[in-house]
Amino acid sequence: MLILTRKLNEEIKIGSGITVKIISISDNTVKIGIDAPQNIQIVRTELYDKVKESSLQAAKSIKEKPTGFSKLKIKKID
Amino acid sequence: MKIKTQQFGEIEFNEDLIIYFAEGLFGFEHLHKYLLVKTDEELFYWLTSVEQPEISFPMIGIRVIDEHYPSVENNEAFGIVILNRNPKDVKVNLKAPVYINQDSKSGFQKIIDSDKYPIDYNLFIEEK
Repeated sequence: MLILTRKLNEEIKIGSGITVKIISISDNTVKIGIDAPQNIQIVRTELYDKVKESSLQAAKSIKEKPTGFSKLKIKKID
Repeated sequence: MKIKTQQFGEIEFNEDLIIYFAEGLFGFEHLHKYLLVKTDEELFYWLTSVEQPEISFPMIGIRVIDEHYPSVENNEAFGIVILNRNPKDVKVNLKAPVYINQDSKSGFQKIIDSDKYPIDYNLFIEEK
């Protein structure tokens, strides 16, 4: 892994389209601003991991046919 | 083209039905070609990998849950479903929808940055 040291408000360029800027620094939190083309997905890694785990579970659940949902209805979001 | 699926056995289809995911799905970036399978009597769709047919994701059209869900032009939003024998434990991922354009036969997954949409939304409630 490439490791660079940056100060507040300094930036890093990745390729020609992506800029990463250090917005603020406090005790153990760094706020980062990212400029990137729209087709680049920017995702917190822990959320990516959760989504992946959820999809793996879904793929494993295909034999779990729910039964007896005649008394149930789909819960809607208003 | 033929593939052998877990739910429907061997299915034969025309290649122009394949939906192409350029970036793949989160965690499944190596898979790009899917079929969207739906049987008449079922609520759920099946997004089945053509390259690895043992991988298939149950999905539901999110419009039946939320009419105001973030839309993408010409695309339909689907939520990946974790099925369960007990319907009350059936969960839908509303946090990372799969968008599919049936005309261009292309799809992508994205994350919706809003607390309104959980990753484990309970699909069913008891009728009162």
